[in-house]
Amino acid sequence: MALNANMKILVVDDMATMRKIIKNMLGQIGFKNITEADDGATAWPMIENALQTNEPYQFIVSDWNMPQMTGLELLKKVRATEQTQKLPFLMITAEAEQGNVVIAVKAGVSNFIVKPFSAQVLKEKIDKIFN
Amino acid sequence: MTAKNNFIEFSRPFIEAAKNVFETMVFTKLDPQKPTIKQDNRSKGDVSAVLGLNGEVEKDGEKRPYRAMLVLSWPYDTYFKVASAMLMDTFTEYNDEIQDVGGEIANMIMGNAKRDLAGLGYSSNMAIPSMIEGSGHTIKYPDGTIVILIPINSAHGPMYMELCYSEA
Repeated sequence: MALNANMKILVVDDMATMRKIIKNMLGQIGFKNITEADDGATAWPMIENALQTNEPYQFIVSDWNMPQMTGLELLKKVRATEQTQKLPFLMITAEAEQGNVVIAVKAGVSNFIVKPFSAQVLKEKIDKIFN
Repeated sequence: MTAKNNFIEFSRPFIEAAKNVFETMVFTKLDPQKPTIKQDNRSKGDVSAVLGLNGEVEKDGEKRPYRAMLVLSWPYDTYFKVASAMLMDTFTEYNDEIQDVGGEIANMIMGNAKRDLAGLGYSSNMAIPSMIEGSGHTIKYPDGTIVILIPINSAHGPMYMELCYSEA
């Protein structure tokens, strides 16, 4: 399946640097419709509002460690909500321990990426989610 | 095994993680130089990222608490080049857009090192990185710790890794 360049994507990370890197990489892959949030707590109302306006996000790329609402908490909210239950969710983390992968998989993550990563690795992870 | 030996063992994952992070995200290779013991608290760079770590080390069936700190310092010129490469943009001054670049790099290095340290018997909890900027700034190291300084060369210019480690 070809990826939709206009897919509505939400990038969630508390570090502006990483948001910019992820946006750059998504742009290199070919995506054009990218919005940012600086925490899970900021992202969740954006996801809810997008549902209400009938323009839901189609893909979430989220950091794990964030100060107010972690990526894991955001993922659990997404999976517990009927309209977003199946929303593709890619988790990004700096902590490379195997235990984290297991926790994220149990919570229903679509795929998992450990920093540092290249645009090529990001693309491969996205391909696995959507193909 | 002594705390000194543990310190040497503890340092290696940080060097390897730094090489990996810079090759993948900054598109440059690092060339670490000979480590020395640092004698003062003045930074060798103009911009520093500081990140604490604590946990327990288990050796020969005995668990001991430890604490550590990673400091990465860059001269302004190196920092601007690193930020420019990482963010695919051009930066020639320190501003809000690049202020957390160093912290993100420290975060990735610590996260990667943490995995390898777990395999060596270290459990660890990472703190949140903080940034210090200004020519001649000083670093507050934990009391009673030895600080090793590792100069690192790269195509973007010199940078410095500092590690301190102590066991209770």
